[in-house]
Amino acid sequence: MASITSNTPGKVTVRRVKLERSYERYLWLFMRLSGVAMLILAVGHMVIQHVLNSSTNLTLQFVAAQWNNWGWKAFDIALLWMAIPHGIRGLFNILSDYVHNGGARRVLAIVLGLFVVATVIWATIAIVLFDPAAIP
Amino acid sequence: MTSLILTVRESIRYRGRSGQYSWLAHRISGLAILFFLVIHVWDTANAHFWPQAYAWSIALFKNPLFGIGEIGVMAAVLYHAFNGIRITLLDFKPEWWRHQRTSSLITWGLFLIIFVPIAVLMFSHMISHCSEMAAAGGSCLRIPAFSDFAQYAR
Repeated sequence: MASITSNTPGKVTVRRVKLERSYERYLWLFMRLSGVAMLILAVGHMVIQHVLNSSTNLTLQFVAAQWNNWGWKAFDIALLWMAIPHGIRGLFNILSDYVHNGGARRVLAIVLGLFVVATVIWATIAIVLFDPAAIP
Repeated sequence: MTSLILTVRESIRYRGRSGQYSWLAHRISGLAILFFLVIHVWDTANAHFWPQAYAWSIALFKNPLFGIGEIGVMAAVLYHAFNGIRITLLDFKPEWWRHQRTSSLITWGLFLIIFVPIAVLMFSHMISHCSEMAAAGGSCLRIPAFSDFAQYAR
């Protein structure tokens, strides 16, 4: 923890405190850790799929060739599992600035939470079960 | 709703300098990425669940309208990634808070250096796709018909 006071302009006082374990804190930590991981995974995905390969020559056959490899499937699943919760948590953080009613905020949290679970499960099933041999 | 309008207006009016502009750009880029990401994930899942719809959608996304959006998403991802790393560093190292202004300028600089050549490359992919389509007698602006992808029907 740190603070800047009028007695110490421009200087930061650092005081280490023991934090209690809480759900909010782990989500805060998740945002940082997944963010650092996605510097490689998401930026890597953008550069590989959208610059080195281009979506102007993307076909179902290209997807089949890539998902014929379990390494690519694992890459995409890892990115999926970090990006969707990170993005929806970010949306919840933004909405929390405007939704002040405790009940409404709880409903929002439940709806967004269910959306994360549904999206991650649905897309994971798609990646795992995708059969390259079924593509003509 | 009124607080939302207030936020939008004050975000522009409030002269919070570098830190405030980073905060604003981080929010806007995050929302833009999420909007794209949700569509992208549910669409890509169709490669397994509904290949015909997926094949049609990737043909649709070759339209320059989506191509411009794709360049925008690239900008958002790069800025959000670099600024996110800056936030994380400052969160774990409060001693560095006095470098707030310098670090936000470095983030913008790094973003521009990396984004500009990438945008040029993506734009040239788009142009060459359109000229190939034109040479074949078609147009990259045409919206593909769903029935054109019937061979993928399941």
